[in-house]
This record gives sequence, C-alpha cells and structure tokens, in this order.
Amino acid sequence: MTELLRQCFAIQGRNFDKAGEISSEIKVILRDLGIEAAYTRRVVIVAFEAEMNVVMYAQSGTLTFIVTEDAINLIIDDVGPGIPDINLALQEGYSTASDEMREMGFGFGMGLPNMKKNSDEFRVESVVGKGTTVYATVRHHENA
Amino acid sequence: MTHGFVIDDDHCEGTMACMRTCPTHAIRVKDGKARLIPEQCIDCGSCLKACPTGAITAATLTFADLDRFKFKVAVPAPALFTQFARSDTPELVGRSLLQLGFDAVWEYAVDIELINRSIRDFVRRWNGPFPLISSSCPVVVRLVQVSYPTMVEQLIPIDAPREIAGREIKRVYSEKLKIPPEEIAAVYITPCQAKTISILQPAEEVKSHLDGSIGISEIYNDILFNIRRLESSKPGADDSAASRKIFRMGYPEGEFHNLSESHYLPLTGLTDIINVFDDIEKGKIRNIEFLECHACPGGCIGGNLTVENMYVARAKKLNLIASIPVPTKEYLLEVERRYVSEDLSLRAPLKPRALEDGKLDLHERVRRKKKSNELMTALPGLNCGLCGAPMCRDHAEDVAAGMADLKDCVFISKDRIQNLKKYYYR
Repeated sequence: MTELLRQCFAIQGRNFDKAGEISSEIKVILRDLGIEAAYTRRVVIVAFEAEMNVVMYAQSGTLTFIVTEDAINLIIDDVGPGIPDINLALQEGYSTASDEMREMGFGFGMGLPNMKKNSDEFRVESVVGKGTTVYATVRHHENA
Repeated sequence: MTHGFVIDDDHCEGTMACMRTCPTHAIRVKDGKARLIPEQCIDCGSCLKACPTGAITAATLTFADLDRFKFKVAVPAPALFTQFARSDTPELVGRSLLQLGFDAVWEYAVDIELINRSIRDFVRRWNGPFPLISSSCPVVVRLVQVSYPTMVEQLIPIDAPREIAGREIKRVYSEKLKIPPEEIAAVYITPCQAKTISILQPAEEVKSHLDGSIGISEIYNDILFNIRRLESSKPGADDSAASRKIFRMGYPEGEFHNLSESHYLPLTGLTDIINVFDDIEKGKIRNIEFLECHACPGGCIGGNLTVENMYVARAKKLNLIASIPVPTKEYLLEVERRYVSEDLSLRAPLKPRALEDGKLDLHERVRRKKKSNELMTALPGLNCGLCGAPMCRDHAEDVAAGMADLKDCVFISKDRIQNLKKYYYR
C-alpha cells in the first residue's frame, strides 16, 4: 500500500518524565488526519505500550509511525536487553518488571499482549543483548 | 452551529486578547477584527471575560421571550444562592424570584440528588476505560468532543440535573394545571452562558427539556431589590409556594463528596482541566475513576454570568452546605420514587464533534499535514499572533488549508507591519 505519511520519533530509555509524550503526539496527528476515535484509540494503545516498554527496559529506541491508505503501521526498534523467550513475553501477566516499575504502576505483564490484542498484524523480533523490534499494523474496522 | 455569544464588529478593536486566551484556538483576528471558527468553539466564555472593549456579549433570554408561556417555572442554579449576603437565605431569594414574575420556583435539590446517585452507580458498574468524566459542565463536554475525541466514551452518559428538572416540571405542572406541557416554561437561572447554549443546542443533539435560561447577572439587581422589600414586609401569600421545605438546599450542583476520595479528582478551571486531560493522554494519571470537571475556576460560582466575587461566593456556599437541614421524609421519598421511575441517562450518545473539513479524504488531510509541517520551518515559532492566528502552528495549518496567506507573518513579509498600522494606529 502506498505510504502517505511517515514520522520517526526518538525514545529515551529510563526517562519516565517524558514517557507517553510520543503516543500523545501520535494521537494529535491522528485527530488532525480525521481518523475515527475508536481506530485512533487502538493505535494509541499500541504506541503507548511500545513507548513504555522502551522507556522501562531499553537504553534508547525509535518509534516509526507510517500512515497508508488502509492501515497504520508502527515499528518500534530499541537498543536494549532483548527478549529471550518471545512466546512467554506474549502471555498475559508475564512480567520482568522491577518492584520500582510496579510501584510506578507499570509492568503488570499486559504490555505486549495488549499491543497484540489491538493490532491486526503483530510481530516481534529480538536479539538478546542487542535489542528488540516490534512491527504492528492496525487497520480500520467498520464495526469497531 | 449556534454559540452563546456575539462578537460586535463595531466595538471590536482587534486587540487579540480573545484570540490569545481561547483554549481551542477558535479565534483569528484578521483586518483588525475578531472572527470565530464555530466548529472549534466550546462556549467556555474565556473570550468574553478577556475582551477589554466589551465587544463580546453573552446571548441569553429576556423576560419578554417568556411571555408566550402560560406558566413559568424557575430552576435556580445553586450558584444563585451564593450571590447574596449571608442573611439573604435561599427562601428569600426564591420568594423574590416569584415577585419577578415566575409562577413557581423548582425544588432542584431532588434532581441534583438523583443525578448524583445515578453517577455513583454508573462509576461503580463501569468496566470501560477510566477515568470517567462528569458531563454536567457543557464546556467540558464540548472540550472533549473537539480536542479529545478518543475520550468521548469516558464522558458519563447521564443527563444534567437541570434537564431532568425540566422534564419533571413539564410533567408535574401539566398534570396539576391541566394544561399542555408546551405552555409551561422551565427556565434555568444560569451562572454561565455555556449552559444557555447547552439548552439551545445540547451536545448530544436532542431537544432540551428546558425552554431557555436567564443569566444571574441579568436579574441580580431585581432579585436584590425584591429581597430588601420582602425583608421589610410581613410574610405574604406567596409563602406557601416558597416555604422552607422547597429551599432545603444550597446543594452544590454536580459535586460528589461521597465518591471514594482516593479514586476521585475534582478539577476546576479550564487550564487545569486541559493539563490533566493531557496527562491522561500520556498515561500519567492512573487509579483515578472519576474526574469532576468544571470549566470555571472555583466551579459554577465562578461562572461568567455571576456577580459576586468568587471567593466570597465560596464562603457563602460553604456556609449554605453546612446549614443544609436533615432531609425530610417527603424529600427522601420523592428521591426514591423518582429514582426508580425515571430514566436519567442521556437521550442520545455523545460523539466527537465533526470538524468543518470532515468531508476531506485522507490524501488531502495528509497533504495539509505535510504542508503545515513544512511551513513551520519558515515560521519563527514565537507565537506573537500578529498574523492573526494565536500560534505559528495555527498559522501554518490555516495556510495549508488555504485559509490564510503565509505572508501575514511579520517575519516573512515586512509590509505586514505597515498594513497592521492601518488598524492599530488610530
């Protein structure tokens, strides 16, 4: 599908103060593009969880946001510890979050599962010790 | 789209005060005159307060508009009772409303209690995304519809107490007086022009149960005059209609002291509300179930059609709350009776507001977005407003949409200043 718009955002690891700003920026772009609220909500859930994962676990990362005619694609690429067992990480409730992260209200093991649930296509690639890349595609659902 | 105020071109001096204060960037000042983008306006009234030349005025009802009704019932916003001295009790205020020509003054406390209960139940049952947002302030509803469309489903779909009151007034009095409901006027005595608009044009796109509103500031002097007269006269025949039983109130509207404190945040003032909504979007606010939002600082007592200083009014309000009498048996029974028999939910779902360019296709929107991003690099980012848009971002978007000329920016065109002198050196 023809790519209509592509924007790239840098995410800083461990910066909880700035966490959430990229997904909130994406929300504004989608609003300006006249994307329906329910559709936007799904995209933003994926973007937010992805952004939080990078902030919580990685040193740095980028979020690429691509609008095509029939879908919105998100590619989140980080430099970080990587995920040893992707299938395990995709299970609801599985979490490696530290107590500190939990105290801040994160790390309930819903991040990746929640991203998957809100995507139409979802793929995780990871190399332990190097980093993780998440590809998510969210499509417009008529009856969403 | 109707709005609650009028910009008078003859009085507008193009000061840009309104444009700079508008929270949704709905005003442009071109050729020395303020212009409204109706689709962006949320009727908050900030511009009204900010205008130094008084060119923006609120549009409300006058008594003459009510003459076509046989029976007129006042629904006084609780804020009304905070506008007078401590010794001027709600009973006196109510009696003076009758003197002004109302045939009855409504016992509003029951409606407020019904809605409070209904909201408490709704918050407990809700299993969608939190926080839920109170919908009694029309400005907050419109702000969400315009600026936070993904949060629209978090607006509590329960009607405002004033609407519930309007419906019950029609029912009760048409039964009692044997006249059709159309001949009965339910008139809200309003602390702000936003509620006037919510009556003329409800956000959920149905017809209001109320027939109009009169601003507190419009009848303040008349009420005060009548209070002084009533004080010096002996209780008259109107007493039965305005007995103590009716005014067991002073009850604040849309405030929920009995919700769990740790999961409940009361917010007042549009700036603070916008900050909190932005934090919600960033996922920074968790474990909050309910946000009670009033766009005016201090809540409805700070409304733009109130008269008394907000802090003085607040002292009076606290005093009124402290002296609320123990509920009578009749009151409690009435609440019970109506709670089981009435549907208190909004009659139609709230939806995000469709902006003017709603018909554009994705390609055109993307083109505009890219264009405005590109234009941003040409603009200074100072948000000086001299182009007539509040921020450089707005100017870039206006240009991309073909609604403004990039050269209106003083950094891009030196002639712009010369042009502006025409309007500002008089």
